[in-house]
Amino acid sequence: MQHKRNSSSLCTPHEHALSRRVMLGTMAGGAASMAFGGLATPAVAEALRQKEKQVLFIWLDGGISQLESWDPKPNTSFGGPFRSVPTSVKGVHFCELMQRTAKHMDKLAVIRSLCTHDNAHSSGVARIQRGDPKNRGVVYPYLGSAFAKLLGPTSSKLPPYVWIKPGSGGFKAEHAGFLGPKYGALAFGDGQPPDNLLRHESISEEADTQRNELREAINRRYAVQRRKVSTEASTAVFDTAQQLMKRQDLFDATTFSAADIQRYGTHDLGRHTLIARKMLEAGVRFVNVTSYGWDTHGDHFNGSASLIPKFDQAFSAIIEDLHASGMLENVLVVAISEFGRTPRINGHIGRDHWPEAWSTVMAGCGIKRGIVSGSTNEQGTWVKDNPYDIGHVFHTMFKALGIDSIDTEYDNGGQPLPIAHEDMQSITEVLA
Amino acid sequence: MMQSDAKLQTSQPKEVGKPTLTSQQIGCLRFSPCGQLLAAGDYNGHVQLWRVSDAGLAAVPPLTGKHNGFVDAIAFAPKEQLLFTADTWGRLSCWDYALWLKDDAPAADAIKPRWSIDAAHDGYIRSVLVSADGKHLATCGRDQIVRLWSTDGKLKFELKEHREDVYALAFSPDSLLLASGNLKGAIHLHTAQDGKHQKQLDATSLYKYDRIQDVGGARVLTFARDGQSLYCGGAMPSGGGFVQATPKLLRFDCKTGKLEKEWTLGDPAHGFVYEIIEHTTGELLLITSGQPGQGRFMLLNPDEKEPGFINTKMANCHAMTLHPGGHRIAIAATNGGSNANGRDSALKNGEYTGNHSPIHLWDLPSSAE
Repeated sequence: MQHKRNSSSLCTPHEHALSRRVMLGTMAGGAASMAFGGLATPAVAEALRQKEKQVLFIWLDGGISQLESWDPKPNTSFGGPFRSVPTSVKGVHFCELMQRTAKHMDKLAVIRSLCTHDNAHSSGVARIQRGDPKNRGVVYPYLGSAFAKLLGPTSSKLPPYVWIKPGSGGFKAEHAGFLGPKYGALAFGDGQPPDNLLRHESISEEADTQRNELREAINRRYAVQRRKVSTEASTAVFDTAQQLMKRQDLFDATTFSAADIQRYGTHDLGRHTLIARKMLEAGVRFVNVTSYGWDTHGDHFNGSASLIPKFDQAFSAIIEDLHASGMLENVLVVAISEFGRTPRINGHIGRDHWPEAWSTVMAGCGIKRGIVSGSTNEQGTWVKDNPYDIGHVFHTMFKALGIDSIDTEYDNGGQPLPIAHEDMQSITEVLA
Repeated sequence: MMQSDAKLQTSQPKEVGKPTLTSQQIGCLRFSPCGQLLAAGDYNGHVQLWRVSDAGLAAVPPLTGKHNGFVDAIAFAPKEQLLFTADTWGRLSCWDYALWLKDDAPAADAIKPRWSIDAAHDGYIRSVLVSADGKHLATCGRDQIVRLWSTDGKLKFELKEHREDVYALAFSPDSLLLASGNLKGAIHLHTAQDGKHQKQLDATSLYKYDRIQDVGGARVLTFARDGQSLYCGGAMPSGGGFVQATPKLLRFDCKTGKLEKEWTLGDPAHGFVYEIIEHTTGELLLITSGQPGQGRFMLLNPDEKEPGFINTKMANCHAMTLHPGGHRIAIAATNGGSNANGRDSALKNGEYTGNHSPIHLWDLPSSAE
């Protein structure tokens, strides 16, 4: 639950109002469908759904090197071997490993002055994905869980927080922190649906309905004497599964064109980003695409030459597609890591962890296009102006989606908690 | 140190004096054929130079402002007094090096290349090499192409079989064959005269696809002095990111293309084989670099399973060259404590500092003289 400060019952932020409108619109469409043989409903609902705000969050686990991507420093002491290339915005250059994305700089906002201080993996993932709020003795939610709570599912009713990742899947309740497990991540390991999602062919639809009614009745009885968060989570998972059972098409890779598969890349990051596009098109509120293996302490330049063009390929393809379809108006795209990488090149020809001066990129909903915010010094060692911590980035993301990140609070059983670090604010220069 | 036979117990390589300190990290190192000059390419686009004497190395003003990115490949012509330098932005240059042998060597600003090609490759040039007869100059790079040039900078032909990043080159001792090895462990043999494809050798054990990262590859190639065998160095990677990789050396029969023998030269912390030199005695000189601090210099008798000599005191050895006199080698290693996360790791007196490559000189044992 969340509420606005100085307001008694504003637990519904702007986006919930939008959802209500969408719901009303859908209901109106439903009425129309009765009148017009059902033809109007999908089109109206889809048109409305397309205006719902969504997030694509690309997580490069470990850290992509800012020097080999968004903030190249060619021909400087720590600049590395690669050239820079001009982008579609005059005066802005990326590393040559990002040639495809460079053509879409006019759609992006690059923040080159992240300074997030913490250089440890043990805290890095959670610290960044939780927005590093002040310690109040509670575990804050990951960003996806935060949006699941603050915005809820779209009118598609699909699970609000989907995590597409290599390896295994499942329901990741721990992402939700104090919000409670129902706001956890539904992880699709390798983009595949959870096991046994389909109704077994030996069970008829009628029998399935009866079983679910029985389950719900038992759940209600069970819930009377249990903690609400536990029973809510259980119910939420079942509800989610039921919604997914209706959308097997989301996992049907045969629907992708050969051209799209090639454009995004046949590697995991390409395939998963293409699946993410489908999830966004279907109406998932928050899609996290995670790629592992970005901790290039050794053989860094050869590693970057292999890794970064794959990111470049997938990222540029989805920016291009979201832009072409008009979805970029309503989808916020963020690509970020745990930290950047050291300017200094170690003996294994690697770059180590460097949270002092690194970059992230945003695009889409609520974000200015073709802008670079902040800068690093000539050597790329330190932030030169406008240092931003992850709290600033969280404020910016919330604001971009129309959520007042200052006045909106979580209500943790009566304990008001800010949704982003209260000593920080949004990066206004990247907000549209 | 480790030794496997009585011969080496009485005759091990010995380090000569203290290492020569540099201010930069060095990726390649070569003695001139006359033995009087040592040249190194560094990570700041410079070519570092030293005059060589029995007493050690005396620095000459480096060649600065002539290259971009890293200078990761250099080669001397065997007969003419030419030095070829190549960088990671694709520039290939040729220099008359005699001027650096004079006491009044001009300043870098006044030095002009004999010729220079800005886009010899599209980006990273991985290797540059001159054949023993001095007729062929070969280059390769990240643009997946091998190019054959005359030493006056005229392109003779291109080899495009690789379709992968090409890391390594080697000419056979008779200058008839050119071997080239790529990221995924394919090695191609071509005739150097006309570029006709002869054979493909399989060093794919030196490659791994981990998550979405291509790791490893045929990193270094050297023909045996008899021209019958080709050595390929690299590593057997266990993963990307940190890149844990066990150093490996493979030997192929050039006639059949088959793998004759392979050596495992450490554990996953020890990384890649960076240089292979076959001495006139037939012994192999090898260096490796792995996790920060892990560097090895080894002597390997090809008839043995393991190196007879291993020195582990130099951190991360990246380049090695044999003096034409045959008795001395130079190795570019790395300073200690080269890695760490975060701001405190590299701050010295409030300034952010980089790493550097001390150059170690070693006299070889009698077995390798």
